Amino acid sequence: MKYAILPCNGLDKPVGPLAREVALWLAARDGGELICPVLLGNSPDRYARVLGALPLLVIDGCATQCATKLANGLELKIGRKIQIAEEVKRTGAALGKSLTLGPDELGLASTIAAALAKETAPLASATADYATPQDYIEAAHDKFLFKVPAAGYFFNENDVWVQPSASANRARIGISDFAQQQMTDITFFGPPTIGAEVEQFGEAGYVESAKATLELVCPVSGRVVAVNTMVSETPELINQDPYGQGWLVELELRDFSADRELLIDGPAYAEVVKKKAAEYS
Amino acid sequence: MSESTFMGVPRERIPWFPTIDYDKCNYCMECDKFCPHRVFERRDGEERKLVVAHTNNCVVFCRACAKTCGPDAITFPEKPAIVALIKRIREEAKDTP
Repeated sequence: MKYAILPCNGLDKPVGPLAREVALWLAARDGGELICPVLLGNSPDRYARVLGALPLLVIDGCATQCATKLANGLELKIGRKIQIAEEVKRTGAALGKSLTLGPDELGLASTIAAALAKETAPLASATADYATPQDYIEAAHDKFLFKVPAAGYFFNENDVWVQPSASANRARIGISDFAQQQMTDITFFGPPTIGAEVEQFGEAGYVESAKATLELVCPVSGRVVAVNTMVSETPELINQDPYGQGWLVELELRDFSADRELLIDGPAYAEVVKKKAAEYS
Repeated sequence: MSESTFMGVPRERIPWFPTIDYDKCNYCMECDKFCPHRVFERRDGEERKLVVAHTNNCVVFCRACAKTCGPDAITFPEKPAIVALIKRIREEAKDTP
C-alpha cells in the first residue's frame, strides 16, 4: 500500500537512523511519499497535498514516539504506525550503539520493511455469527453510566470483553464501555499481527487516546484471524459502539472452557466497574 | 481505599509492578507523567530521582508506562508466571474451608 511516510529520523539512538532506512526502503518499493519530520514541524503546509492524498504511516524509533507526537500535535490522522525498537526485538536481533548503519543494520531494515509490506488480510476460512447485545446492565457512579451487556459477553478485570461466536470456534474481543469512557476520544487502534498466537492475558494490540494508552489484555488464548479494519479507519467507532461495531480483534479459540475459568460474566463485571469508578473518582 | 483484589486474589499477593533499570533511566519522567495510578514517586535532590513507590497501585497486566519509555528502562514480570500464581492462589482459596 502507498503511504505518506513519517519516520523518526532521529539521532538520539540507533533506532532513529534505522527508522529512516525502513522509510527509504518502503518509499522505494511502493512509491510512497517521504515526510521529513524536521520540515514538517517547521512548515506543515509543505506536506498538505501529500497528507491529503495518502494515508499516513508513522515509523517511530523508540517508545518516546517523537514522530507520533509530532503527528498528533499537528492533528494528523495516523493510518498505521510501527515502532522500530519493538520490531527489532521481534526479529531477535541485537542493535549496537553506533548511529552509522552497517551491513547488518541495513539487512535488518530491509527485513523489517518486508514484514511491514505484507498486507493484513484476514485468515477467512469460516463465517462466524455474532449477536448484537439485547439487554444491558447499567452500572452507575455519580453522573456517569457504564453499560455492560447482560449476557453473551465475558470480561477480564482489564476491561476487555470477549464474545464467543454461536456458530464457530471463534470470538471477538473489544474494550468495555467503562474503558472507552475512561480513555475519552480514541484516536488510534494498533492491531496485532494476523496469524499471531496470543496467550490468555497476553497482548492483542492496543488503543490510544490523547489521554491514555490501553494494552488489550487478551481474555482468551488463540490465533488472531481478523482485525476490525473499520475501526482502524474510524477509531471513534470504539467510543460510539464498544460492544458492536467497535470490536477490535477476532480470534480462533484454543480452549475457551479453560479460559472461561478466569473470566467474569456481565453482572460480575458491572460490580467491578462500580468499584473502579468509585476508586478513580 | 477499599481492600483491593484482582481476580479474587488480594492485590498485595500479586508481584506485578514496574522495575526501573537505573543504568538506562534518563529521568525524563514520561512514565510518571503518564501513569494515572501514582505508582511512581519523584525524589528531587536524591540520586534516584524516580522510584516505584506504590507497587499495589499498579494495574495487574498493565504495561503502558513501559511503552512510554524511550530508553527502554522499565521491565515487568513475565505474564505466564503471574497467571500461574493467580491460578494457584485461587485454587488454594477454594480448598480452604
